[in-house]
Amino acid sequence: MDTRVGAAGDAAGSAADAVEQSLYEIRRKIYPRAVTGNFAAIRWALVFLTQAVFYGLAWLQWNGRQAVLFDIAARKFYIFGLVLWPQDIVYLTVLLILSAYSLFLFTAVAGRLWCGYACPQTVYTEIFLWIERKVEGDRLARMKLDRTATNARKLRLKATKHGLWIALSLWTGFTFVGYFTPIRELFGHVVALSVGPWEAFWMLFYGFATYGNAGWMREQVCKYMCPYARFQGVMFDPDTLVITYDRERGEPRGGRSKSADHKAAGLGDCVDCGICVQVCPTGIDIRNGLQYECIGCAACIDGCNQVMDKVGYPRGLIRYSTEHAVKHHEDRASILRRVLRPRVLLYTGILWIVLIAAAAMLWQRAPFKVDVIRDRVAMAADTGDGTVQNVYRLQIMNTDEAPRSFTIVASGLPDLELSTRDNPVELGGATSRMVPVRIKARPDAATHGSVEIEFRIEGRMQGAADLTPVVIVEKSRFIVP
Amino acid sequence: MSPRHLIHVLWPAFIVAGVANAVFFTIVDPIDLSLFGWPVGQNRLAAYTIGFFGFWAVAAGSSALTCFFQRSAAEINQCPLEPDARPSGCPKREDPQAHCG
Repeated sequence: MDTRVGAAGDAAGSAADAVEQSLYEIRRKIYPRAVTGNFAAIRWALVFLTQAVFYGLAWLQWNGRQAVLFDIAARKFYIFGLVLWPQDIVYLTVLLILSAYSLFLFTAVAGRLWCGYACPQTVYTEIFLWIERKVEGDRLARMKLDRTATNARKLRLKATKHGLWIALSLWTGFTFVGYFTPIRELFGHVVALSVGPWEAFWMLFYGFATYGNAGWMREQVCKYMCPYARFQGVMFDPDTLVITYDRERGEPRGGRSKSADHKAAGLGDCVDCGICVQVCPTGIDIRNGLQYECIGCAACIDGCNQVMDKVGYPRGLIRYSTEHAVKHHEDRASILRRVLRPRVLLYTGILWIVLIAAAAMLWQRAPFKVDVIRDRVAMAADTGDGTVQNVYRLQIMNTDEAPRSFTIVASGLPDLELSTRDNPVELGGATSRMVPVRIKARPDAATHGSVEIEFRIEGRMQGAADLTPVVIVEKSRFIVP
Repeated sequence: MSPRHLIHVLWPAFIVAGVANAVFFTIVDPIDLSLFGWPVGQNRLAAYTIGFFGFWAVAAGSSALTCFFQRSAAEINQCPLEPDARPSGCPKREDPQAHCG
């Protein structure tokens, strides 16, 4: 890891020599310098957006209940008007496919956009760093504070920082659990100190993970723990936009006086100020080329552009560019033209196909489901009145939020007689019921020992009897001993 | 086992346990399960949590075996005695990596 600090940088760079034994390898603590600029602004916008959604969405109400609730205790997922049951696992699969292909697409186009701007690890590290900066000061002040011997001021600052970090972590853990168990009730339990042990455990667990990852582990999560960081490289090609140091323009690097003509002195545009290294949250030197540690946060671009403005050179010594463009000195327009290449078009195509298929599936989704289960205890029984009886259990799930009534009809045998406690079956919104059904038929109805029968379940919205019902047909077998 | 080994074992196991837990309990309702003939109980959150740690333990066991079997023949054959504890006359007294045979 290179922590070289240049002429215009601060002399206190060597303070970062405090070597800390970590779980993975000897780690030199990184003190990222605060940076402002276009890309930092985009990152902050995404921090606000993602966190407004994360902390806020859990409190949103819909149809008199939590709008987004993965009620794992009741095994029902509510997403606005949609109620998903474990049987709807196909949608979860589709969601995973969509996420994976989006990631492939973004990575092929512009590298680690996810890591640099939207990954929770980046977002929370950004927030935690902001707190750290507000409490302890910017880079130099933090390094100085860590160097000083423990005193009252140091203790106070550290306690404040960790107190704020822990408070935010606990709130994050609470919100996380609030997506799996109704958040308003959970809040009531938290206030009354009567949280269930499992909820309490997961709140603390997630809170601890947030505190540890964003406060302590930081770039190590990206470097050693993240699977995506390891394989993202295979999605790159020579036309992928990555953060690039323009070696040709920058080298040979070196300090110079502002008035001197650096070209005449044989120097490149890089003033070797070390800002790009100081702002890097993973502590690498982008001038050594693309490295797997680079999370694509573009902090070095912002930092370098500021320096270029200050010394009066054109911006973009470090910029988003492609391997191809750097090699052939291509301009922006040609880079953008190359975005539409087969790989990107293929990913986009697949993404659209899956998206349209998922939308069509959701649109076609029946508002209820039926499972027919044969009673396993008694295969068939002689009723004594000359008929044979089979018992079935019909699991009817009203997957929609409107109450419905379900009429059960059976067919497939002559003179078949169906009896159940109530028919039609009335079911409230998003509920399910096991309905025992008896079918009687004459023993001579089936010659093969068993015959296929059909259950036809007609679901009607209550108070709308004249509307065409939604019909589900399920097959089962009638056994004659 | 060093802390480094520990994290190499626990972290991949954690990821796998999370996925396995989600898939398993999407397909199986814990209330339908029984343990030695006794129903698991009505508390699904408890079942999910215990299930997660169960999966984590199993996956960690697998990761630990992977680490264990990664030791090379030379590492296994390495003399268990510290060089200075080896009997006088042992030709490998000076070589910490030495092994007999």
